[in-house]
Amino acid sequence: MMETRRMNLIQHMARRFSLRQIVFFLLLAFFLTSILFPFYWMVSSSFKTQVEIGGRQPVYIPSALRLDAYRELFDPSHPSFQNFSVNILNSLKVSIPTALIAVVLSVLGAYAIARLKFKGKNVLLNGVLMVYLLPGVLLIIPLFSMLANIGDRLGFNVQDNLGVLIVTYLAQTLPVAMYMLTNYFRTIPDEIEQAALIDGCSRLGVIWRVTLPLAIPALVSVFIYTFMIAWNEFLYALVFLNSRDLFTMPIKVNTIFNDPSPRPHVVMAASTIMTIPVVVLFLALEKYLEEGLTAGGVKG
Amino acid sequence: MNQRAATSRWNTLPAREARLAWFLLFPTALIVFGLILFPAVFSVWISFHDVGLHNLNDVFHAPSVGWSNYTRVFQDFAFKYQGPNNLGAAVTSVVYSFSATILTVFIGLIAALLLNRPFKGRGLTRAIFLFPYVAPIVSVAFVWRWILDPRPSGVLNDLLMRSGAIEMPLGYLSTRGLALLLVIFFEAWRYFPFAMLMILARLQAIDNTLYEAADVDGANAWQKFVAITLPELRFVLGAIFLLRLMWTFNKFDDIFLLTGGGFGTKVLPVLTYEFSFRLFDFGRGAAAAMILLTILIVFMLIYVRVVMRNVDEQ
Repeated sequence: MMETRRMNLIQHMARRFSLRQIVFFLLLAFFLTSILFPFYWMVSSSFKTQVEIGGRQPVYIPSALRLDAYRELFDPSHPSFQNFSVNILNSLKVSIPTALIAVVLSVLGAYAIARLKFKGKNVLLNGVLMVYLLPGVLLIIPLFSMLANIGDRLGFNVQDNLGVLIVTYLAQTLPVAMYMLTNYFRTIPDEIEQAALIDGCSRLGVIWRVTLPLAIPALVSVFIYTFMIAWNEFLYALVFLNSRDLFTMPIKVNTIFNDPSPRPHVVMAASTIMTIPVVVLFLALEKYLEEGLTAGGVKG
Repeated sequence: MNQRAATSRWNTLPAREARLAWFLLFPTALIVFGLILFPAVFSVWISFHDVGLHNLNDVFHAPSVGWSNYTRVFQDFAFKYQGPNNLGAAVTSVVYSFSATILTVFIGLIAALLLNRPFKGRGLTRAIFLFPYVAPIVSVAFVWRWILDPRPSGVLNDLLMRSGAIEMPLGYLSTRGLALLLVIFFEAWRYFPFAMLMILARLQAIDNTLYEAADVDGANAWQKFVAITLPELRFVLGAIFLLRLMWTFNKFDDIFLLTGGGFGTKVLPVLTYEFSFRLFDFGRGAAAAMILLTILIVFMLIYVRVVMRNVDEQ
């Protein structure tokens, strides 16, 4: 039954489409399934019960939208309550400040590089790009011992300190953020700023009133880029956080995963909560970026 | 008189501009130098000293141990090459990052070619293609781990057993060889969108008259691809290859989350992590990281010498 229908479909397709189109559709279908299936599996598994998860065969479609896994994450009366809302909050407390500070600092730095003339500019740019080369695992050892020392002297803890995480994420993202913004500033014609300067505007006034409004799409991209890095980051959070109350979401998910009694549906539920905001944010950004690119700056 | 000259030099427009520039750059420079460049140099120092949890608070007085951290890394069984069944971290790293990078660029190229021509729903498809790249690594690694679950309830086991390809369930991520192969596939799955985006941008900048001229000459699609598209893409492909090679070589999370570095997938970043944060031997960890960096720099120099020069010539 299946076979004849498939044959008919192929014959039908062969009649309607050229070989090239068929190859195109097959490739597209292959890409879409291999990308979307893992995401479908993540979301659908989060609605399964322990029985559906632990069965001998995988359950491809959950029998009903059961919230068992989510209850374990959020319901204090659940026997193995995970208090996941604290982890969501921690992730927000790290990602939002990182993204905001990164936007402000990279605007200042990128403006200086794109518009002002000064000695040592190229050395600085190349030095900043060198950061690309250095592995995260290489930096974390000296960072750890260095911050432990400074912390001892100034009286703060390196471990279990979300502020330390924010600063290290800033160090990792600022070079790229500055690079992105510098390129964007260079596409904004200099003449507009010169005109404002002649009209008696100060430099900072020019940045605030002229350059920034024109660069909003780029600012949004930088915000989202740094937000996503901070939201997704694993290694530094793993090393710098010890207390469960301060875990960001990735570390918490890792902890649930490594629990002696495996509960994949809970892992998938937590992963779903962690993944959906970035994917949604990203989809929103896509449109924004294209708009920004087509409307960017002044023509002529 | 002198003083006036000095103040006027201090107040010239270029000088004021330079001062403003440094003022604007200061916070970024402070963070990047303090938290990246200084630690990078400091880790060279650590790699020659005995630094552990016991003297972390007094790290600047740690005893110097010469090259012994390095020799201990070189002699470590997890590092050394011991034949084709046990590659050791150094060789595994090279095999892993090269094959993953080549596969990533190749798949990214196919995806970019797919999306280069307009069709209904192209915008949405392009956005979906980027999902693996933007989703948190922890989520996607654990989903794949669960799809590749060794029990019969794992999706891949179920599909292969139903289709009769295998009889007994396989432990994909706990079989030597297979695990390394799957980690490489995972890298390509997760990072092809980066290659795709960069290739796509370049593809759309190719002058259309080139293709029109080829059409007039009666070239077929393959000839156009080889004679026009590939040469135009050569530089961007080279750049993506270099960037991805560096990043894959330095990558820690993917393998750590997928296999924990077991079953023949222990790469240098994972080894570095284990020395530093399992054994708390920071000196040896730093030495392993420096070896990692050295190998990377050697590859980059070779690459820039050989590949980039060829690009220039053609």
